[in-house]
Amino acid sequence: MNASLAFTALLPEHILLAGIVALLVIEIVSDEAKGELPVAIISVAFAAIAAAGLASGGNTLEPFPGQFILTPGIAAAKAVVLALAIPVLLVSRGDFPRGPYYPLLLSSLYGICLVASSSSFLTMFLGIEIMSVPVYVLVLLAYRRPESAEAALKYLVLSGTASAMFLMGASLIFGSTGSLSVGAFAQALASNTLLSQSALVMVVSAFFLKAAIVPFHGWAPDAYEAASVPVTAYMATLVKAGVLFAALRVFGEAGLAQPLAGILAFLPIASIVWGNLAAMRQAGLRRMIAYSSIAHAGYLFLALLGEGPGRFEAVAFYLAAYGATNILAFAALPNAKDDESRDRLEDLKGLFHRAPLAAILIGIAMLSLAGIPPFPGFAGKFLIFKNVMAAGHVWIAVAGLVASYLGIYFYLRVIQFMFMAPDAQPAGHRPASGMAIGAGLLCLAFTVAIAVAPGWFLARL
Amino acid sequence: MADATMLNVVLWLPFAGMLAIAVVPAGRDGFVRGLTFWTMVVQFFLAAMLYARFDPAAAGLQAATNVPWIADWGVSYAVGLDGYNILLVLLTAFLGPLVTAGAFSAITKQVKLFYAMVFLIQFAMLGTFLAQDLFLFYLFWEAMLIPMFLMIGIWGGERRIYATLKFFLYTAFGSILMLAAIIWLVWWQWKGTGALSFAFADLLKANVPVGAQFWLLGAFGISFAIKVPMVPLHTWLPDAHVEAPTAGSVILAGVLLKMGTYGFMKLGLPLFPDATRAAVPLLAALGTLSIVYGACLALVQTDIKKIIAYSSISHLGYVVLGLASLDLLGIQGAMMQMVSHGLVAAGLFLMVGMIYERCHTRELAAYGGLARVVPVYSVFFVILTLASVGLPTTSGFTGEFLVLIGAFAAGWRELQAGGSAFFLAMAILAATGVVLGALYMLWFAQRFLFGAEKVPHGPITDLGGREKAILITLVASIFWLGLFPEGALRKSEPAARDYQQLIAGKAAAKAPAKGVAR
Repeated sequence: MNASLAFTALLPEHILLAGIVALLVIEIVSDEAKGELPVAIISVAFAAIAAAGLASGGNTLEPFPGQFILTPGIAAAKAVVLALAIPVLLVSRGDFPRGPYYPLLLSSLYGICLVASSSSFLTMFLGIEIMSVPVYVLVLLAYRRPESAEAALKYLVLSGTASAMFLMGASLIFGSTGSLSVGAFAQALASNTLLSQSALVMVVSAFFLKAAIVPFHGWAPDAYEAASVPVTAYMATLVKAGVLFAALRVFGEAGLAQPLAGILAFLPIASIVWGNLAAMRQAGLRRMIAYSSIAHAGYLFLALLGEGPGRFEAVAFYLAAYGATNILAFAALPNAKDDESRDRLEDLKGLFHRAPLAAILIGIAMLSLAGIPPFPGFAGKFLIFKNVMAAGHVWIAVAGLVASYLGIYFYLRVIQFMFMAPDAQPAGHRPASGMAIGAGLLCLAFTVAIAVAPGWFLARL
Repeated sequence: MADATMLNVVLWLPFAGMLAIAVVPAGRDGFVRGLTFWTMVVQFFLAAMLYARFDPAAAGLQAATNVPWIADWGVSYAVGLDGYNILLVLLTAFLGPLVTAGAFSAITKQVKLFYAMVFLIQFAMLGTFLAQDLFLFYLFWEAMLIPMFLMIGIWGGERRIYATLKFFLYTAFGSILMLAAIIWLVWWQWKGTGALSFAFADLLKANVPVGAQFWLLGAFGISFAIKVPMVPLHTWLPDAHVEAPTAGSVILAGVLLKMGTYGFMKLGLPLFPDATRAAVPLLAALGTLSIVYGACLALVQTDIKKIIAYSSISHLGYVVLGLASLDLLGIQGAMMQMVSHGLVAAGLFLMVGMIYERCHTRELAAYGGLARVVPVYSVFFVILTLASVGLPTTSGFTGEFLVLIGAFAAGWRELQAGGSAFFLAMAILAATGVVLGALYMLWFAQRFLFGAEKVPHGPITDLGGREKAILITLVASIFWLGLFPEGALRKSEPAARDYQQLIAGKAAAKAPAKGVAR
């Protein structure tokens, strides 16, 4: 093993680790810690820069062959995830002025980076756990309502079940192929023995549970609602990205056979339909985003039906567009006297009259999430359905597109509330903090960049 | 080259205007109005220069720009003028300043956002007409929805939320189907040639299998038919028109509806010629149904705006019939009718807006005898009514007349060739639409302008200078097109021939088709 290679290839992870250690030290030595947010932001920003640098290097690095791999595309995806974590941190100040929030969030990010690079089931499992365990605490950390504890427990149990299923599936694959490498999954895809097929179903179900695909989605609305705004934004975008990276690693570029193709077609489309339908009836923003994220997870898994290098591109692009616009919406959300009032959609009425910039930012986010061109959410969907169709699944792509139609109304409703209703003037509402608006503008800049030059971005994936 | 730069300026000027409005400090409403109006005027003059320089004899695109945009997907920023879009681009640019000026007195809240949206929709409409790349076309096509959604939803009437959601959801459904068809079409083209391309010119050569053509034509067709709108997909239009502010109605009737018929002519039908030839009777039947059904519904409305909204459905039915006739005269008539309806309906909606600002009701029964109260208004109203009816010397006559001739000729040819009399029957039915049209419009004008004097919230003043200037401009252009249609017809004739040939293939090339202009 080459020590310098292990240093460079894992540089983003190392920087994150240094940040976590620094945050813990600050926590220990100082009672009135103030430097946590800057330290967290600086370490994430440097990690993102390191990842971007590795991506532009253009080399595939394997410091631990068979365990950890870094292709330029993976490095670029890491850079995007880390860059999107910066606005999440920026909006956290109001909810978490200090405390264990920052090291926990960075640990979870570390897990996501590890998952994205894993090339064996062991590394992947490690990554998934490092990613998920801090989130159980993060959900509970903003303990504002009694339901928070219940939701966190629900999330813990179900997510633990998913981990168990993943392990079971991995051991079945090991049993049938004698290998723990992610390549063994593709081998199992090709064979049609009962053992390998049940292994596939186990692993895929674990991903579905972690990413909240119908019918494994029950925990998501509760957990999203119970968590605080920055944690919800983090769970809905970056944690989901981590799960998808895991799926991308195991699926590789291999084509799909039955029964997996059927499962991967049916359940994601059911997710799109159900997520979009259920989102229409929500009165709270976070529950609405939860159901919308169930639908978006549907598109993302549908993308696995595509084949070849386009699969990674489509998923990574979609995650970037979806992540940026979702965080954008949360960043621009006005502050309120309590959590419930902040969450109420009705209280957004007339936001344009109170805070035009925030309303425009949220409006752009909603249109992009709905997949209306020219916003990048459209380009993401386009890419996914193009690949699915090119892989020969014409009718599945058409069904997915038509199902996506259901998702337009409830996003429009938010715009309707903000722009077309008289000012609700809810008590105790304050505009979002300057830092949060800054975070929103960061996301907007990224959104505009990938909308104007998607080709530039795709070439780097 | 200079022309290409000028075309890009025409296209991007409204976008720049929108950005400029965004940085104007709040409260400077007068400045925003002036900025929008003069930007639109400049845009019109540039567009008019392009129109004047457009050479119908030259083949291919003119003033074209084509630069790769998303190279991986074969998407390019390709815009240009051809016979298909030249008239509609000019129409859009012409209506821009009129719409802006027409809204000066009506829009008093959130002025900045309103004119930003007027700019945005102008940009999107021009982009849709000018785009020569399917991806770009789709982007602009969808981008039109957002400003219109806000325009109806923010500045609309009482039921504006319902109307605007209905408008958006109807159109978006068609768009989703179109998107699916676009992806399939491009994929097919890619499979055949190995190079991914969204350029119209490449896709027209895609040789889509006949079986698939029907699905694709269905998807494109539903999307365009919703936009036109054709009966039975028309129900969003009356609601949208009634609830929209005047400027919204004018843009909707003046330009937006033509997107549907333009889409049919430029893309929907030529891309799938085999399916189109089979679907011609259906198209003709739906066009005729729209003419007659729209006219019948207009006859029984009690809301002024609804009368004009249904008359739009009826008038656009002629366009569809003309396109379905595949006869050169019919096609040219269809193109003429698009422009004519854009001018006439825009004028009528502006006039309804003017009276609504004074009297605050759209109920027809509340009015009467306006001719004595506001004589200048009434004169303009009568002129526009007659243009809508299709009185010779107005632009409405040229369009409808050519369409009917084309439809009769097509029907007659089919009968001569031993075919069915179906098309001829459609032509005859469509001709009754002209009578119905005269009936509802004249009856409307009679109840509105004559009879016992009834003026809600009176007394009211007659037209002001700004309003007169707007209407004089419109009326002059309507007469100009009615008296001297040759210029416009000549500019669009190559496109009509091109369209005919793309669909009918070699069969039509032999037929003795004569252009009007020659």
